[in-house]
Parts: sequence; structure tokens; C-alpha cells
Amino acid sequence: MTLSTMLSTMAAGMLRTCGIFLLTLVGSLPLGMIVALLRKSRFSVVRLLIRAYISVIRGTPLMLQLLVWYFGPYYLFGWSIRGWRFPALIIGFVLNYAAYFAEIYRGGIESIPVGQYEACEVLGYSKSQTFMRIILPQVIKRIMPSVTNEVITLVKDTSLAFTLAYQEVFSLAKQISASQTSFAPFVIAGVFYFIANYAVAFAMERIEKALDYYR
Amino acid sequence: MIIEMKNIRKEFDGLEVLKDISFGVDNGEVVSIIGPSGSGKSTLLRCATFLETIDGGEIVYMGEKAAHTDESGRAVYVHPKELRRFRSYCGLVFQQFNLFPHYSVLKNLTDAPIEVQHRSREEAEATAMELLGKMGIADKAKAYPYQLSGGQQQRVAIARALAMKPQILFFDEPTSALDPELTGEVLKVIRQLAEEKMTMVVVTHEMPFAKAVSNRVIFMDGGVIVEQGDPREVFENPREERTKQFLRVFER
Repeated sequence: MTLSTMLSTMAAGMLRTCGIFLLTLVGSLPLGMIVALLRKSRFSVVRLLIRAYISVIRGTPLMLQLLVWYFGPYYLFGWSIRGWRFPALIIGFVLNYAAYFAEIYRGGIESIPVGQYEACEVLGYSKSQTFMRIILPQVIKRIMPSVTNEVITLVKDTSLAFTLAYQEVFSLAKQISASQTSFAPFVIAGVFYFIANYAVAFAMERIEKALDYYR
Repeated sequence: MIIEMKNIRKEFDGLEVLKDISFGVDNGEVVSIIGPSGSGKSTLLRCATFLETIDGGEIVYMGEKAAHTDESGRAVYVHPKELRRFRSYCGLVFQQFNLFPHYSVLKNLTDAPIEVQHRSREEAEATAMELLGKMGIADKAKAYPYQLSGGQQQRVAIARALAMKPQILFFDEPTSALDPELTGEVLKVIRQLAEEKMTMVVVTHEMPFAKAVSNRVIFMDGGVIVEQGDPREVFENPREERTKQFLRVFER
């Protein structure tokens, strides 16, 4: 295998990695907010379920969770779903990251001084206006550093997709390395991950800068 | 009467903070509430502005009942939709300003009028600029709260409350977070509002201010109104021993 075929194969794998990454963010960023809000629900059953969900997700390895999502339907219900690999992967990632984002959001929401809510109440804002117009924008600014951390971790966590033999860049690196008895694929994969994270850090920094107009 | 509060009772975890308090404020009147901390002054304001719910008694705005006590002795409020109307009658200025940090000064003043009262942007901005001019900070319209001094922030907060065109404005220790120099500039705008016959209730520790500006002074202690009346009467000839004792501290 020439270096250029190796590179192009792995670049295709990197695209799949980016696919997992983007789909996970698109799913887990909003889902995390819903989870964070449900965690403060009026109904104690809902609160309890959400806490259990967060605690299970945080208390078990993501790799294990992926395997459960992939094999669970068959072993638990005898279902064999065609093309289940990718959906299982995305479900596993989204539900995992949503739990972590939910905790970040919760911390952000709780850090907003109660005076902000009281000012809104006196001015007659509705509950949803208060949240969307006054609280959420301030929460987003406050949680940006923690979210950046989590997003960078996600870039690297996508490599866990190898457990389900999904052909993203890390799985390919392992396979090619074994078949070609070469160390190069790992170096290439490392460079790809590093570039991806460099881009992520750059983008997040831009967003933080854009929110720097107030304190 | 703009507001009448009758036989207000409020407790926190079994501790009675307001014990059967009654008071009213006439149109154009300026009332100062003084008293030691923990006397229930702030709680009274928070009940009047619906930040706290009363346990018993009656709150009447412009002759309309916002809350009353039913046969079982519990306080009942009007429907939340109705309550929003009552909320629009009153404004509150906080000790800690509570401006919205992510909004410019102008947006702090126009957001609620536009979003809550559905007024036009042009009208809201015109009102806001006029108010900022009155507060002497028209040049700060585009600034963000963190760029302002405490005194300027509090004047923005007063303007924000006035932008809602309330019938009555409550102040909860508006100068307690400010140093003496900045206190002066905030008291000046409150005094100016008093001259324009804005109806106001001010919880304050600024005795000379209370004496000079208000039409009536209320001294509260231990959840009751100990004494009230003409400011000169209360300050110079207090009837109650407790009032004398409290005022003596300020003479030093």
C-alpha cells in the first residue's frame, strides 16, 4: 500500500469521524438542555429518572454503553435490525454526551444570581421570556470553557467507535497498521485528531471572543 | 390611594416577619421606611411587588384587590394573568441594581416595554432616552453595565423601572451598595422624582434624605410599624422609646 492510498483511505475514515462528531453535538447539545431542565421538573418521578440516567451514564464506560446499544436489541429482545451499527453508535454518543452537557448547563443555570430572576419578575417577563432572553445568554457565556473541554474530549472519544467496528479513522489506523505492519497509520491518525482539535479550539475561542462584549 | 396593604402577615419557616402590618400610599406621596435590619422592611416591599406571597391580609392597588384573605384565613391571589396587570402598576429598584449584564443600557430600558408591554421600538427608545437624560447618563446609552460606576448602574436601574411607567416605585435600600459619593448622585435623582410627584416608597438608612424628601416616615421593628408620621415629628420628637433608641445610633 502506497502512502497516498493509505492517506486517502484514512481521510475517508476521518470524514466518518467528523460525522459522528457533528451528529453527536447536534443531538446532545439541545438534548442536554432538555435534560437539565427536566432535572428541575415539578414532578419528582421525572427528577428521579433524570438523576438515575445521569448517574448511570457517568458511572459506566462509554465503550460499554456503545456495546449495550449495539447488542442490546438482539440479546434483550431478539431483534436483529439491519444497519443498526451507525444508529446505535450515535444513540450511545448522544445520550452519553447529553448527560455531561446537562450537568454543565445545570451548573451554569445555578450560577446566575437570583436577582436576575427577580428583576425579570418585577418587570413582568414570563417564565419562558426570562429564560430565553435573560438567563440562557448569560449561561452560555459562563459555560463556554467547560463546553470547549467536553467538545475536545468528544473528538477523541469518537475513536471508541472502533468497538463496534465502525470504519472511522481510528479503526482504519489499527487495521492498516496490522495488515501493513506499519506504524505510519497511527501517526497519520494522531495528526488528523490534532488538526481537528486545533480547529475546534480555534472555533470555540472565536465564540468566546464574540461573547466578550460584556462581563 | 395607589396601594393599600391591610393586616399583612408573612412568615418564613414559622418565623413571623410581618405581623399584621397595614399601610397605604397616596398618589404623589413619598414614604420612607426606616428601621433596623431584620425588621421586615424589605419583606414588606417584596410583598408589595409580588416577589413574596403574603400569608394573610389584603393587597389593593388602585382600588382593585390583588390578594385577600378567604374564610379559612389563607391569603388568595388573583389569577396569574390578572396578577401581571397588578405587577405593571409597581416598579422596584434593588439594592444590587440587578441590571441585565448582556444588554446595553438602552436595551435594559427598552426590552421589557417592547417584549412585555408590546410598545413600539421607536416609542420605547424615545422614552428610554428621555429617562436617561433625566438621570444625567444619556451618553451611556450604548455602554454595558460593567462599564458603569455603581451610582450610574443604579440610575440605569431606576430608569429601567420608570420605563415601564409604573404608578408607584419602590426602592429597596437603593444606596446601601454604594460609597458616600455615589450615594449622593442616586439620592439626587430620587429627590428629583419626588419633586415631580412620583409616588414612591423608599426603604433606606439615609436619615437626612428620609427627613428632607419624604412626606411620611414609617419606623418598623420586629415585623410591626412602631411609629409613623411627618418626618420632622418622627425624627425630632419620636413618641416611642424604641424609635428614640434607634435614631440615637444615627446621631453619633
